[in-house]
Amino acid sequence: MSDLNSLTLFKAKDGLKAKKFSSLELVTDCLSRIKTLQPKLNCFVSIFEKESLDKAKKADLEKPLGGIPIAVKDNFCVEGTKTTASSKLLDNYQAHYSSTFTKRLEDAGAIIIGKTNMDAWAHGSSTETSDYGPTKNPWNTNHLPGGSSGGSASAVSSDQCIVSVGSETAGSIRQPASWCGVAGFKPTYGRCSRYGLIAMKSSTDSPGPIGKTVDDTAYILSLVSGHDPLDATSLDLPPWQPPKSLTNLKGLKIGLPTSYFPSQIQPDTKSAIYNAVKILEKLGAEIVKLDDMMDPKYSIAVYTILQRSEVSSNLSRFDGVRYGKDRSFFGAEAKRRIMLGTYSLSAGYYDAFYLKAQKVRTLICQDFDKQFKKVDAILGPVSPTTALKLGATKDQAMFGELQDMFLEPSSIAGLPGISIPCGFDKTGLPIGLDIIAPQLREDIVYQIAKIFEDNTDYHLSKPKL
Amino acid sequence: MTITPIIGLEVHVELKTKSKMFCGCSATHFQVEPNTHTCPVCLGLPGALPVPNITACQWCIKIGLALNCSVNLETFFERKNYFYPDLPKGYQISQLQKPFSVNGFIDIDGQKIRINRAHMEEDTAKSQHQLVDGKEATLLDFNRSGVPLVEIVSEPDITSAAQAKLYLQKIQQIVRYLQVSDADIEKGSMRCEPTINLKIENNGKTYYTPLVEVKNVASLTGVQNAINFEVKRQTEEFNKTQQTKSAKNKTTRGWDADKSKTFLQRHKEGSSDYRYFPEPDIPPIVFSQKDIDKIKDNLPELPDQKLIRYKSLGLSDYDAMLLTDDYLFSLAFDKITKNNPKIAKSVANLLLGPIKEHLNQVQKDLDVDKINPQYFASVIDAQLSNQISATVAKTIILDSFQTGADPLIIAQDRGLIQVSDTSKLEEIVDKVLKDNPDVVKNYPKNPNIIGFLIGAVMKLSAGSANPQIAKQILEKRLK
Repeated sequence: MSDLNSLTLFKAKDGLKAKKFSSLELVTDCLSRIKTLQPKLNCFVSIFEKESLDKAKKADLEKPLGGIPIAVKDNFCVEGTKTTASSKLLDNYQAHYSSTFTKRLEDAGAIIIGKTNMDAWAHGSSTETSDYGPTKNPWNTNHLPGGSSGGSASAVSSDQCIVSVGSETAGSIRQPASWCGVAGFKPTYGRCSRYGLIAMKSSTDSPGPIGKTVDDTAYILSLVSGHDPLDATSLDLPPWQPPKSLTNLKGLKIGLPTSYFPSQIQPDTKSAIYNAVKILEKLGAEIVKLDDMMDPKYSIAVYTILQRSEVSSNLSRFDGVRYGKDRSFFGAEAKRRIMLGTYSLSAGYYDAFYLKAQKVRTLICQDFDKQFKKVDAILGPVSPTTALKLGATKDQAMFGELQDMFLEPSSIAGLPGISIPCGFDKTGLPIGLDIIAPQLREDIVYQIAKIFEDNTDYHLSKPKL
Repeated sequence: MTITPIIGLEVHVELKTKSKMFCGCSATHFQVEPNTHTCPVCLGLPGALPVPNITACQWCIKIGLALNCSVNLETFFERKNYFYPDLPKGYQISQLQKPFSVNGFIDIDGQKIRINRAHMEEDTAKSQHQLVDGKEATLLDFNRSGVPLVEIVSEPDITSAAQAKLYLQKIQQIVRYLQVSDADIEKGSMRCEPTINLKIENNGKTYYTPLVEVKNVASLTGVQNAINFEVKRQTEEFNKTQQTKSAKNKTTRGWDADKSKTFLQRHKEGSSDYRYFPEPDIPPIVFSQKDIDKIKDNLPELPDQKLIRYKSLGLSDYDAMLLTDDYLFSLAFDKITKNNPKIAKSVANLLLGPIKEHLNQVQKDLDVDKINPQYFASVIDAQLSNQISATVAKTIILDSFQTGADPLIIAQDRGLIQVSDTSKLEEIVDKVLKDNPDVVKNYPKNPNIIGFLIGAVMKLSAGSANPQIAKQILEKRLK
């Protein structure tokens, strides 16, 4: 059998269990795919060829992810491996310990075959700010994969791994998943431990899976979620378990915020989302227009202030005393963020910026509470456009914030959400549908995404490389 | 011209919890091999997260309650951002807006010194400047990084170096009573930074000199000396420059104990330059009134309360003070007198006499476990019934304390039980009179000389004679 690397997680699991192929074959196929595509797409910062093959030989297939090759974003610490967050500042840094998220995956038998490229320090939505060069979009290598988990999304989309791990602060899982045509599941803030994830904006950082199907991501989530005593913000809950999938959506109310369809949205994207709404309506969902939902433009401001503030503090530890490189190794984007954050936390500005942003954050949360009294879930586009061309971030200091404007409100409110493929633009680039639900209602997100996937075949299309 | 010093004290007390403030590492760092009590959290490694030590938070509240503070039921941690090699995260987790406890006071000889706050934070790593391969280097020991620290900030109510010393001793005493810290200034588990300026009244006008914070003071005497030095220096400075306090002229000075003077370190940054903001890695900490009441109900008897009780047991002010001053001695005293309060005075004499003298000599702390209340009771009984003299009581209680043996058996073995048996004593008296004919001859002229003869009887009996009875027999014989 060849091209085992193109299997979904469940197909790979089934195949391994039925002894149709071995973990070694599966890993080998992924590694050879990586070898072919790395020069073209640059999805990886590190590739663990020898270690992965060794682990594949010893794979314990009894374990839930026994022998499954996965790719991990390079901001997760994995003991003994180089962990750079795609910044040259950490070029020589070997993690001394493993993040809870990746440790749970490895404990479940997964084989980490490489660390994926990202925007340096997760600052961006393009993977173009990586100090290791940009990652390319498999659907068109002149285009960006999105970010910051661009390497992870591109790697899944181009079948270089079975499933991958990303992290989202506001869009960093869903937006690259959307641009690369795969599923990206961002759980409720606190559902998955942040321990060992290099902090970007601590108050909204949410690690999560990127996969080829909704079920693949849900399964990963069921293995990595649950309370972690090492993260004080991790919720004291057992691991999340996906509910039964539905055959129709009768009784379910889905909200469509008019403010999420501004004029600058790409027409193809708009029609793909409306088409998705029609499919869901046909499946029995009641579609409710939400005319009074807060304009996402306010979230851009709130998110920018809070994120820069936390970034300026989170990056302080890279002070030149340790890690071998000093602060001159920060790229332009990190420097801009540190300066803006330092400014907004400074004497005389704190009240006008940080404190005010926190107050508006409360209003955003209250707005969601209000809307979720009317509906069970909210739908919208993940991104105003499909994947932009390489270089699109040039001189665009607010690139990410504008790309992620529909994702920032739900991130700020800590809500769960998923991006799933729902169509293509006329140049063939994938379009993503964003489904969000109240905190801890991953079950609703899952059920809508799953039934949509069951009734469409967008997720089955593969990029031609 | 009248000059009144205005002194506020910031006291840092290191808690002796088993583990550090935000990780599971041992909080012990004194004389520990460098960098052996560390983990990703206290090393501030990328991705590591702080999880607050709830015991430390409760102890901080305990300190607050003992300092008569009100407790904030809902508090949160904040990040204090600044760069320093000993600060691995580039920020210290501390509290600014909502400390665990606020607005307390302690009483120093009838004067209230107000406490602004007692808040929780983490200690920094320790820098060691030394030569490595012939080059000057700064080495970092992260064993101390993340050790729980309670900062107690007073209002500027202190007006003299002597009062500052009393304030510090009181804080030290209280945290030791609470058993939450060793509060040892020399070992660094208690640190204090006085902020000093002067109120100068002259010709009906009042001036305030610029604020000076003094750092690196490593002893109680140092605090006193530094304050006295600053009062003198600021007075001279004011006379020269007439400069008064403003929002911008606060300075930090270091204390040089060898030269006994302060020296300028830096102009102080305003506190808001630390860019405090709520620590996003730790959710707000919420206690219920019930939690606080429970901590309150379990507070031990504090020094002030103890002092009053000791006086009510008949102790002199001085003895009561000496006992309450030393937490271990007060524990020993309570242990002995718990079921036998009548002997309180004698117990105080024995503890503060031979035992304290001995411990001072060998420079050791009292081991309360070695105190046997039964032994104290029997020694005091024996003394009251004239079986032993006060001197013997002191000797045998110390021997017993050191060896663990029954003091009365020690007395018996060494023949120290007092001889009150008249016939036996008469023999000794007769021998003394026979041996000292000159003294006997002088007695009618100088009756006070009987003291010498009593001494001789005591000596001959190896201290076992009852001096009262010996005196009676001597007087009879010399009539």
